[in-house]
Amino acid sequence: MSQTVNTKRAQREKSGPYGKLGHALNELDDRMGVAKGGRSFLDKIFPDHWSFMLGEIALYSFVVVLATGVFLTLYYVPSQALTTYTGSYLPLYGQRVTEAFASTVNLSFAVRAGLLMRQMHHWSCNIFIGAIVVHMGRVFFTGAFRKPRETNWVIGTTLLILAIVNGFLGYSLPDDLVSGTGIRIAYSIILSIPVVGTYVAFFLFGGNFPGTSILPRFFILHVLIIPLIILGLVGAHMVLLVRQKHTQFPGKGKTENNVVGTPMYPVFMAKTTGFMFVVAGATALLGAFAQINPIWQFGPYTASRISYAVQPDWYMGFLDGALRIFPSWSFHSFGHTIPLEVTIPAVIFPGILFNLVMAWPAIERKFTKDNEMHNLLDRPSNRPKRTSAGVAVAVLCSMLFIASSTDVIANFFHLSLNSVLWAMRILCIVMPVLAYPVTYRICREMQGFAGAGKRKTTNIVTRTAEGEYVATPAPVYVDDLAHEHELDALPVPTYVVDAEDAVPAGEGGVRRVPR
Amino acid sequence: MKSRYRAPLIAVAALVVVFPVLGLASAALAAPHTYTRTPYQTGRANAGTPNSTNVVKNASGAIVSYGNSAITYTAPSPALATLGQSLFLENCASCHGVAANGVPANGTAGAFPNLVGLGPATIDFWIESGRMPAADTRAVQANRRVPRLSQSQALAIAAWVNSLSPSYPDIPSPNLASANVSDGAALFALNCAACHTIEGDGDALAAGTFAPSLRNIPAYQVVEAIRTGPGNMPRFTGNLSDFQVADIVKFVTTEIQHPQNPGGFGLGGLGPVAEGFVGLLLGVGLLALVGFWVGERQ
Repeated sequence: MSQTVNTKRAQREKSGPYGKLGHALNELDDRMGVAKGGRSFLDKIFPDHWSFMLGEIALYSFVVVLATGVFLTLYYVPSQALTTYTGSYLPLYGQRVTEAFASTVNLSFAVRAGLLMRQMHHWSCNIFIGAIVVHMGRVFFTGAFRKPRETNWVIGTTLLILAIVNGFLGYSLPDDLVSGTGIRIAYSIILSIPVVGTYVAFFLFGGNFPGTSILPRFFILHVLIIPLIILGLVGAHMVLLVRQKHTQFPGKGKTENNVVGTPMYPVFMAKTTGFMFVVAGATALLGAFAQINPIWQFGPYTASRISYAVQPDWYMGFLDGALRIFPSWSFHSFGHTIPLEVTIPAVIFPGILFNLVMAWPAIERKFTKDNEMHNLLDRPSNRPKRTSAGVAVAVLCSMLFIASSTDVIANFFHLSLNSVLWAMRILCIVMPVLAYPVTYRICREMQGFAGAGKRKTTNIVTRTAEGEYVATPAPVYVDDLAHEHELDALPVPTYVVDAEDAVPAGEGGVRRVPR
Repeated sequence: MKSRYRAPLIAVAALVVVFPVLGLASAALAAPHTYTRTPYQTGRANAGTPNSTNVVKNASGAIVSYGNSAITYTAPSPALATLGQSLFLENCASCHGVAANGVPANGTAGAFPNLVGLGPATIDFWIESGRMPAADTRAVQANRRVPRLSQSQALAIAAWVNSLSPSYPDIPSPNLASANVSDGAALFALNCAACHTIEGDGDALAAGTFAPSLRNIPAYQVVEAIRTGPGNMPRFTGNLSDFQVADIVKFVTTEIQHPQNPGGFGLGGLGPVAEGFVGLLLGVGLLALVGFWVGERQ
C-alpha cells in the first residue's frame, strides 16, 4: 500500500521532530557538545547603543583587510632584486625597478580586480585604524576601561599600536618613491636611539640602508607575524568582552548588576551581520571610486631620488608632525652624537604617550581611589577631569597631525613655511594647555545646568474662562524619567538561566538579565 | 630628607646638570663642519656636459647649441628690437632701469636684477608666465598669472634686451615626437621632484618661497625654466642633454598634466592628506552614521 509522502507534514515528520537543521545540530551536539556554549552565545545580551558599533567597524574592516590582503599576497613578490619593468604603464616602461615595485604595479594593472583589491586593502586599513581610535575615544570618555576591564583596555591599546606598525609596514612594501622615503625615515629614527640604535638598525635591515633584505623582512612581519598577534589579541579582546559582559549607559531598568539589551540571536545577529556587509560595501565603494596611493605616479624608490611633500598615512601623521616641528637640538660629546631632534619626538614622545594611555586606568584609580566594579558608563561631563585630560591629549595629537602637513598648509594659503612651522610649534604647546580648562569649564557648566543633554519640554498655554492665560510645563518625556522605570513584561524564554531573577522585558525584543 | 636618599639624589642631579653643560660646551668648542664636494655633486661651477663633443660654445663660453634635434633654439628677430625697447621702457624700466641693468632699490643693491646678458629665453619666460611685470615688487616670489603682455610683445622685449649683449639660451622649441616618457619620469624623479613633488603640484619652500605647480605650463616654458633657472630653481645646463630635457618635458606635459587615475577620483594629487580626510570622514564617519542608524539612540 502506497503512502502519500508528497506533503509538507510528511516531509517534516521524515526529518524528525526538530527539522533538518535541528537534527543536524543534534548530531553535532552529540559529538562536540555545542549546545550549551552555543545556547549561551546565542543568548548573549548586547546593549546595542549606537556608540558600541564603533568597535564593530574596526572588527569588520579588519575582516576586509584580511580578505583583500590574502588576495594581494598571491601576486606580490617580496624581493628587492632589480628587474626591468615591461608592463603596460608607459611612463615606467624599461625602468630598472625592484621586483616588489614591479609586482605591485603589475597587480594593479595586469591582474583582474587587482587595483580594486589593493585600494580596498588600503582604504579598509585607514578605516580600521580610524575606527579603533574613535572606539578608543568612546571607551575612554565614558569610563568603560574601569575595573574590571583594565586588561581589555591594555589589549585594545596594544592593538592600536600593532595596527599602526602594520599599516606602516604595508605602506612600505610597494617600494615606491614615497614609501621608500618612509623606510629611510624609520631607519634614521632607529639610528637615533642612544647607544643601541646603530646595532638595532643594522640588525633589522641586515646592514646599512637600504640593503636588499628589508622588504622580505617587512613582508613576513606584515603578512604573518603581526597579523597573527593582532588576530590573537582580537580574540582575547572578544573573549574578555563576552566574559565580562558589556557596559551600558545608565537608563531605565539598567543597574550595575544587570545587562539590558537584545540577545545575540536573532536581533543582534541580524544587525551585526548587516553591519558587516555595510562596512565591506562602503570599503568596496571607496576602493572602486576613490584612488589611493597611486604608486605608478610616484615611480620606484632609489636612494638618490626624493620627492617633496611626502607624507605618511594619516595614522602616522602625529609622529611625522612631531618630527617636523621639533627644534634642531642634538648632543655631541665623547665622540658620540645623540640627535635629540629625532630621539625626542620619534622615540621618547610616542613611548611616553602610549605608556601613559596603557597606564591610564591605573593612574585614574590611584587618583580617585575608586576600586569598585563599574558596569554603568559615565557621562563625560560628569567626569570633567578625565574628559579634560583626554581632550588635551587628543588636541595635542591633532595639532601634531596638522603639523605633518606644514608644507601643504603653507603652499595652499601662500604663507611662509617658516611662520607655519613656528605657528605649529606654539599651537602644539598652547592648544592642549588651553583645551584642558575650556573642557573642564564646559563639563562643569553642563553639570550645573539641570536637564543638560535631555530634551526640552514645551510649555502648554491655556486660556481660562476669565480670559487669563496660564503656562504650565508639559510632562517630561517618558524616556527621560528616572533610571529605575520598569520595563513592560515580555514572556520569559525558557532557556534563560536564573529565570526567577531575570526580568526580560521591553519593546523590540529588549531583554534584561543579571550579570 | 633621609640621608640614605641623599647620595643617589646628588648623583642624579649631577648627571642632569653636568651632561647638558658638557654637551653644549663640546658643541661650542667643536670645529665647524667642513664639507668637501664629491665628484658626484654638480653645482653651477662644475656642471658636466654628458655630450660635450656636440655642444657648441661661443667665445665667452656660453652654450650656443647642444647639437641635436631634440630642442630647437631660435633667437627672436632683431627687427623687433625697436618695438621691444619702447615696450621695455613702458613696462619694465621703472624697476630694471632704462638700460636694463637693474637699479639698486633703496640701498638694497641687486633687488631688481640686471637683465643684460641673460639670454632671450629668460626674458621670454618671465614675461610669458605672467610673473613680469611684477604684480607686487616687494613679494618674496612672483606668482604665475595671466600674462599682461602678448607673446609677440615678450619676444620683442627679449629681442631688445638681447641686442644689448647677445647671449644664450634662445627661445626653445622642444621636439617631443621622439622623446621617451619613461626616461623623463626617471629624470624628473631625480632632478625635479625634490621641490616640485613627484606629482608636480609644487610645494612651499623656505621663507615664503615656493616651487610652483607644473600642472598647467606649456612645453616650451618648461624648457625655458630648466635651461635658465628662474628664481630659486637651479639652472640645468650641462648636466642635462637636450634629449633628456625633451624627455622630462614630455613626462611633464603628458603624465604630470594629465595623470592616469585608473583607481577612481585622483583626490587632487595631495596624497595621504586627502586620503586621510576621505578615509576618516567618508569611511569612518559614514559608517558611524550607519551604526547610529542601526544602534539604539538614547
